[in-house]
Amino acid sequence: MLEFKNVNVSVGRTLILEGISLSVKTGSITAVVGPNGCGKTTLLQTLNGTSKVTAGEIFLDGDDFLSLPVRERARRLSFLPQFRETAPNISVRGLAEHGRFPYLGFSRTMMEEDRKAVDSAIEFVSLKEQKRKLVSELSGGQQQRAYMAMQLAQDCPVMVLDEPMNFLDFESQREMLALVKKLKDGGKTVILVLHDLNQALTVADELVVMKDRKIESVSTPEEAVKNGVIERVFNCTVTPVDVSGMVQYLLT
Amino acid sequence: MKTKREINKGLILAGLLCLLVLVSILSLAFGSVNIPVGTVVQSLTGQDTSSRWAFIIKTIRMPRTIAGIAAGAAFATAGVLLQGVMNNSLASPNTIGVNSGAGFFVMLSMMCFSDNLFLKPVFAFAGALVTSLVILGLAFLAEKSRATIVLAGIAVSSFLSAGMNMMKTLDSDLTINATQFLIGTLSGSTYKSITVPVIGIFVAVILSCLLSKALNLLGLGDGVARSLGLNVDLFRIIFVILASCLAGLAVSFGGLIGFVGLIVPHICRSLIGHDARVLLPAAGISGAIFVVAADLLGRVLFAPFELPVGIILSICGAPFFIYLLLRKGGKRVNA
Repeated sequence: MLEFKNVNVSVGRTLILEGISLSVKTGSITAVVGPNGCGKTTLLQTLNGTSKVTAGEIFLDGDDFLSLPVRERARRLSFLPQFRETAPNISVRGLAEHGRFPYLGFSRTMMEEDRKAVDSAIEFVSLKEQKRKLVSELSGGQQQRAYMAMQLAQDCPVMVLDEPMNFLDFESQREMLALVKKLKDGGKTVILVLHDLNQALTVADELVVMKDRKIESVSTPEEAVKNGVIERVFNCTVTPVDVSGMVQYLLT
Repeated sequence: MKTKREINKGLILAGLLCLLVLVSILSLAFGSVNIPVGTVVQSLTGQDTSSRWAFIIKTIRMPRTIAGIAAGAAFATAGVLLQGVMNNSLASPNTIGVNSGAGFFVMLSMMCFSDNLFLKPVFAFAGALVTSLVILGLAFLAEKSRATIVLAGIAVSSFLSAGMNMMKTLDSDLTINATQFLIGTLSGSTYKSITVPVIGIFVAVILSCLLSKALNLLGLGDGVARSLGLNVDLFRIIFVILASCLAGLAVSFGGLIGFVGLIVPHICRSLIGHDARVLLPAAGISGAIFVVAADLLGRVLFAPFELPVGIILSICGAPFFIYLLLRKGGKRVNA
């Protein structure tokens, strides 16, 4: 289980996150939502060291996560940042191979086990036919899947994705959501920031709603709709709609 | 099984090595006095050790060629490292002021300690390192904006150039020694003057190649690199130290040779891609080819007069730099 206990993040004298306490259930999908600037990305960035925790603690399966060596952290939790300016000029396989970095020795030589992990990660994201192609030659959706292959090759039980749908078209977003569900089915714990409330309400087991640098609520999507926190934070109306036996949400 | 692309990379590396051998032999053979290639080969294989040709090759052209190989490899490798660390394709020891930093300190050592051959590399390394760290600090403060890094480099370079010119003006003896140094020349290289820097360059190039995987991760951006378990800050400092060591040591005997660290990494990237594991050795070999070839050209173009290698490289480098600015505008370096 991943636990945040009273986590604060400050830059200089400015408090970016305040008193964050959160428990992420193992094997679940947790979606973090909130208006722009509420601290969603900062919250996730505490996990890869980009945002420095100034107070509080983070535990992963009982271990003080922030005190673990960097490579040990990278073996237990993988993180896909949101912003990538340009696609790298390396092959899909080359990118996925980077995911094995935390496991390689000084010579950085890949063993059979590493190659298998890379191959199965590429297969998981359905890029086997494109594995020799340069990432820069792929579409936005394929590039995102290539990065996910890298993250999968890292073979961590906890996977963090910061706004994985950014810049993706509708079809690619659907593919990405399907992949996220597939990750959970494969036993992974997935934490992701989503901007699209509909996607978050549909895909998440747990919904973390943030506002003004704090967590407003942590609940199932159904509860979040029922208790009105979504409507309050996003200033909208949420109407559950039955679509072919599945509950979807109409946001107006 | 190796892919076609991997085989091609191997072939390109082998081809570059052959080209370096060829250019080096030509560098030993041609200059103000032309020596038959057969005699050069005989001299290299030990069949001719006593002729005047053998003497010229051994005492004048061999140290000069070794100096060219080392300087070229050093500047090009430093260029790849700095471009990777600063995520900026316009970064190079010359453009961000590292060479000027090394040059300033070398001139300081020349002024204070005359021509002490062992202090020069130490001062050059110190100067290059201080400048790199200043630029890196400025880049950090400016949130790594590419334009800021290059502009800060220009500002630091002009500051240091002013310092060098001031030393030249104040010390008339220095003027004689410094003119060639500021242009960049391999003329007058001796085994004594190049041994320490060449060993240092060799070690730094090997270390850079060993750490190439980490450089690849840095090219993916700090966030991704950190998430993959790389100690980003530590490796950034290591690469800056290596680049400073390479550029500084090369400046200590070759002077302010410009543009190799900028042009060569770009040419190599277009040939073999962005993977630092292949890019670093390829850039090292190509840099060596460039400098040795430019030095050779400088010796034969107006023989028996010599043009310093720095002039030839700047004549080729400046137009390429402008082309690069127009074409790419300093795009991010990825690996």
